[in-house]
Amino acid sequence: MSAALLYIEDDQEIGSFVSTHLKEQGYEVNWVTSGERALEAAAGCRLVILDVMLPGLDGFTVGQRLKKAEPDIPILMLSARTSIDDKLQGLQFADDYLTKPFHPDELTARIEVLLRRSGNRSSAEPLAIKHLLVYEQQNRVENGETGEEITLTGKQFHIFSYLLRHLGQILTKEQIYEAVWGEPYIEGDKTLQVHIRYLREKLERDPAAPEIVETVRGIGYRVRK
Amino acid sequence: MRKAGTREGGIRFRQTLLSRYLLIILFAFMFIPVIFPLTSIGYMVMQKNANPQSDYLKYGNAASLEAMWHKEASLLSEAQPERIDGRLRELKQAYPEASVFWVDASGATRLQMPEQDRLPAQWTQADAIRFMKASVGGDPYTVVAFIGQASGAETGFMVMQMPRSVIEIQNPIGVDTPYYIAFIFVMFVFFIALSLLFFRHIRRRLLRLQAAMAVHGDDGLPMPVVQTKPDEIGQLEQSFNRMVEQLKAGKERERAEEELRKRLIANLSHDLRTPLTVMNSHVYSLRKEALSEAGQAAVKQIEQKIAGTGSLIDNLLSYTLMTSGRYPLKLERQDMLRLIRESAADWYPLWEQEGIEADIGLPDESVYWRIDKEGFRRVLDNLFQNVVRHAKGGRYIGISVEAHGDRQILSVCDRGAGMNADSGGKGAGIGLAIVGYLLSEMGLAWHTESADSGTKVLIYPK
Repeated sequence: MSAALLYIEDDQEIGSFVSTHLKEQGYEVNWVTSGERALEAAAGCRLVILDVMLPGLDGFTVGQRLKKAEPDIPILMLSARTSIDDKLQGLQFADDYLTKPFHPDELTARIEVLLRRSGNRSSAEPLAIKHLLVYEQQNRVENGETGEEITLTGKQFHIFSYLLRHLGQILTKEQIYEAVWGEPYIEGDKTLQVHIRYLREKLERDPAAPEIVETVRGIGYRVRK
Repeated sequence: MRKAGTREGGIRFRQTLLSRYLLIILFAFMFIPVIFPLTSIGYMVMQKNANPQSDYLKYGNAASLEAMWHKEASLLSEAQPERIDGRLRELKQAYPEASVFWVDASGATRLQMPEQDRLPAQWTQADAIRFMKASVGGDPYTVVAFIGQASGAETGFMVMQMPRSVIEIQNPIGVDTPYYIAFIFVMFVFFIALSLLFFRHIRRRLLRLQAAMAVHGDDGLPMPVVQTKPDEIGQLEQSFNRMVEQLKAGKERERAEEELRKRLIANLSHDLRTPLTVMNSHVYSLRKEALSEAGQAAVKQIEQKIAGTGSLIDNLLSYTLMTSGRYPLKLERQDMLRLIRESAADWYPLWEQEGIEADIGLPDESVYWRIDKEGFRRVLDNLFQNVVRHAKGGRYIGISVEAHGDRQILSVCDRGAGMNADSGGKGAGIGLAIVGYLLSEMGLAWHTESADSGTKVLIYPK
């Protein structure tokens, strides 16, 4: 699947390698070497990969301006600085953060996650998870084996789609609760567990041995492909 | 303070607090020698203007009235009663306020103007004495004069009675003394109030200055004050403002240095890591070539070393920043279980990939510690990373929080070969140094137990 990526990197060697690597993965890559040009090139792209250390305008400034101009385009920061203070500053506007030296496979994995999370995949192609087909655009979940539609309540769908947006990632009960209910998690609240139990009853083949919404003991929940 | 400093502001003597204080003192000194006489003079002048003495006693005083009456009486004679009557009528006209009558030698009351009931028609000697006794010192003022030149029991007498208000000053000197005292008192109160106001004003300004020194602005420095008057306190305010300026400049300089240092480290980090990234990309390209098994293994080794060097650089530079105080920790009440869960969630995929079984035993109830969120995260990251890097062989990581007495203890353990063994991935030193530094900064203690069968790190509040 092709998607236009804007890649901002001043180092020639790294830039040419990464853009070649991403093109091999099937992405359309627009590589620019300065922040000024990045701001012009941002329109119409699906994701921005931004290096922090740039000549002229630094990466933070570019990132902040990009986020202001195009708030829907996810930004992945690449940094060769110490993580200690860059991380906080970067994550104020960036959607993800990767420190150099990074593994090229890791970069592709992060890009995929970001693209899926931003919902920029315009295709109506359903997401297949085990026996389920999820049409995110239409808020519809289907049992792929029987073709039956599974009706979820608002909260159940909300929880499920939050887990889907962070596919493969483990989310703690606090993170899920705060994202779905939009208020701070109250200690000892069992609401989320109850909702997850009902969600499993609807989604899982065997709710007693869940395959879709995994429990990661002691940490939280996860949905994997 | 330098002498020149007081002149710098260029304040004139009359603007100083000292001059004003001297003025008050001068006023106090003038109180007795000036205010008292001045008040007396003022009072007297006022008295004169208010009651001109000349109009006041139209018939003169008692003595002159008495002299007049005696003179009139001596000019008359008992033998001519009609003349007496006539003269009394004239006198009555001249002194309309007076009552007059006369008594002849036989004791009979003759002409009375106006008629008085209480006078006897026929006077005895006792009557005369009683009348005289009643009249002495009383009101009206009574003058009795024998008629004619002779005097004795055989002569008649004439009497004039005049209300004392007509012949005596109603407000003699001394009646106004209370006003006089009141005036002195008012002046005294005025003086006290003046001194009080003077000192209260100074006190208020000093307190304001003191408050300004105690209140700190956003940057932790006192705010400059508005200079009020060009006197001594005004100069103090000016100096205070100058000091605030200097503090600000100092702070600014310090911040700039800090910024420079941070930038230096960031640049250093960038310069070290960029070649690593390039190496990484070449190794990645190499991996796609047809390689022998040994070649594949070598590529994997190189990749691991590059990753290790990257994190070593990060740790090293972070440690430099931290220990030079460039990474201030913000201690807040945090649910440490939540931080552990979030951190473990990030690491879990890697553990799975490396075949490390994670055994996480956290209580349901939140545990609150006063810690810095990022600092604590970094402690966990370094500990988890050490397990992945050095204790992979044990295929186990145990994370638990348990209550021991009244405190909760966090334990991170593995089943690796222990810290003394050669794990093939040296360089844990700086990572643990960061752990140690951050924990002690957050008021936490830690304890490591390492054996051949594994390592256990315990963290607990001091």
